[in-house]
Amino acid sequence: MNVQITEVTRRFGRTQAVAGVSLETGPGVFGLLGPNGAGKTTLLRMMATVVPPSSGSMRLLGRDPGSYASRKEIRRRLGYLPQNLGYYPGFTVAEFVEYFALLKEMPAGQVPRAVAAAVERVDLGGKARAKLRTLSGGMLRRAGIAQAIVNDPELLLLDEPTAGLDPEQRMVFRGLLRDLGQRSTVVVSTHLVEDVGAACSQVAVMNEGQVVFHGTPADLTARGEGTGAAGDAPLERGYSSVLAAARSSLAARS
Amino acid sequence: MTAARLLRIELRRNAMPWILPLIAALFWFDSYRPSTTQSAFWVLRTFWNMGQGHTIIDFGPFVAGVAAWMGSRDGRRGMGDLVAGTPRSRWAAQLATWGATAIWAAAAYLAFVGVMFAVYARQGLAGSPPWWWVAVGATAVTAFSAAGFAGGVFFPSRFAAALAAFGGFLAMVLSSQTGFGHTSGWALILPTNSNGNFQPDSGILYPYLPDLPIARIIFFAGLAVAAVAVLGLPARAGGPWLRRAAAVVALAGAAAAGTAVWLAGTARLGPHGLVIPALHDAASDQLTPYTPVCRPDTGVPVCLSPAYRRYLPELATALRPVLAEVAGLRGAPSSVAQTAATYSPGEVALGQGMTISGRPPVLGVPLGALNLPGAFGSTTAELTGQLQLLAVHVIAGAGSGAGTPAQQAVQAALLAGAGTPFAAQPGALTNYGLPSWAQADLGALTEGHQSRRGPGAVAGPVFAAAQRLAALPAAARHDWLAVHLPALRAGHLSLAQLP
Repeated sequence: MNVQITEVTRRFGRTQAVAGVSLETGPGVFGLLGPNGAGKTTLLRMMATVVPPSSGSMRLLGRDPGSYASRKEIRRRLGYLPQNLGYYPGFTVAEFVEYFALLKEMPAGQVPRAVAAAVERVDLGGKARAKLRTLSGGMLRRAGIAQAIVNDPELLLLDEPTAGLDPEQRMVFRGLLRDLGQRSTVVVSTHLVEDVGAACSQVAVMNEGQVVFHGTPADLTARGEGTGAAGDAPLERGYSSVLAAARSSLAARS
Repeated sequence: MTAARLLRIELRRNAMPWILPLIAALFWFDSYRPSTTQSAFWVLRTFWNMGQGHTIIDFGPFVAGVAAWMGSRDGRRGMGDLVAGTPRSRWAAQLATWGATAIWAAAAYLAFVGVMFAVYARQGLAGSPPWWWVAVGATAVTAFSAAGFAGGVFFPSRFAAALAAFGGFLAMVLSSQTGFGHTSGWALILPTNSNGNFQPDSGILYPYLPDLPIARIIFFAGLAVAAVAVLGLPARAGGPWLRRAAAVVALAGAAAAGTAVWLAGTARLGPHGLVIPALHDAASDQLTPYTPVCRPDTGVPVCLSPAYRRYLPELATALRPVLAEVAGLRGAPSSVAQTAATYSPGEVALGQGMTISGRPPVLGVPLGALNLPGAFGSTTAELTGQLQLLAVHVIAGAGSGAGTPAQQAVQAALLAGAGTPFAAQPGALTNYGLPSWAQADLGALTEGHQSRRGPGAVAGPVFAAAQRLAALPAAARHDWLAVHLPALRAGHLSLAQLP
């Protein structure tokens, strides 16, 4: 298992962002669904070793991110696209990706080829020398994905990767996700249920900091059958049904 | 290799080059242009812009501002998570960004100074360039970049650059204010304390003393190291070993800066500048040998350092009538030679007189200590007046004081004989740059009738005796001096003994 999370919590002051999440996943594409404020981004940030959990235990790529040496090794083999992608406007696409390749401590000799390959994979080859400030929002997102995959990561964490991509690019990106999932563990946090249906082998739904569903997209679809839940597609109806059940359970408890 | 590639990217995308045109314009108007009004000596021209710290003032605030902009980059751009999720320590990445910023700033400083020096060299300045001051400036600029960068990292906002630039400017203002008021002690470490920098004959008759520049370089390097090392202290900066190393380096930098301040406090005045015993090399005290250039056609040979060759005619013309009055007398100078100007703790080396020494006696002229035409608005007429006044003062044996009334009267008579009428002498004694005895002489000559509006009228017994002596035919005056000059110089003559 590349990701083993046991009873992990994370607090920010009085706010409980993640409340006792346990998850396990190996190679493949893992979808993380949930409404705004469900705790998806915080869970991804913890998996990216950017913030430590308040309690619980995590093992990523077989290592404990709590120790500095292990954390460093995990980061070498990690790719991460945050929800709010910052960028240096004066850098070109190639420089931006190269910069993060170097921060990921890739051997200097491998960097040029890896940068070119990552930029090509997100279909920005023609814009490699363009300054980031000249790119559209969708292109910036793709540049962000390129920096995440430049080190060919074993664990790839993508927070809303398809936000801002046009439909054609989203289809291309789903293909890329499936391809990456052949060798790595890819965790994708998204609002877009169709992305999960098209690319993920497993899916978890989060609500109020907890995982309220964990299974395959087919299992999620099955949850919606015959419930009359809202949604245009079967998977959406499953998602709505799971959320509705979780909310009513919470309401009953309170 | 990886670090070099990071540095290359940061150098290409650094914001510093954008501000350089503005600094270049400021450098031209504030540092270079005003210096061209000074006499054509390296030490005078560069004192104006480097010795007084103008080049640092032109660079420092802007460099601090741009460095703060670069330091705040990750915070402003929301790059925190992205950078934090990489294995390379945050500190190492920041070092690359700062390194590129500092390289641009220091390289620009050196380039601007280099161009200015090339222009000076084409203008044929006498003496040699003050390389130590250049090193101080480059280190100071680097320190400004480090301090600004650290400020930007810890307080990232869109106002970081403006605040850092303002902070740098404020530091310069305070440094200047403190510097002008302190001629010794810790304040000598400040980059704009010009009191430690004005050494009139440095690079001409003796080397620039490196003591204070070395202390300043240690100070700024220590500050730069400490500021950059502080970036490695927060938990997010890197691993425990790296943070411990950063703490040690920060302490070492602070200790170096503190040591430099202490060293500046131990500085004492030497004839060629400020001497810091712990840093002083005795080789720096050696006079620079030269082959003098002379004017033998003036009756009394007048010789100067080749660097002062252009003033030889003025010097010979000014001294000729004075020396003619005492030519051939016992104890009177038989030649004129240049002496090295001694260091003054203030901004301008004022108040050094001439000397008569050796056998046969030689009149020593500290030409570098005088206000040469062009420097601080002085004119050739003022230089002539000063030279004659200093010459008659030393010939009369008044030394470094006002002299006896008899000596003052002989001075006045000799000055009148050299072409300065009595009525003009009080005015001549107010010339800027004369030793302090000039004011005492003025008081005696005008019998205390000085007013704020001017020196007052010539009156009193000194004036009367001087008039009697000056009224004698030149040969009679010469004969009287032949008999009485030794007694006059020894201070044994009274006013009544004058003819």
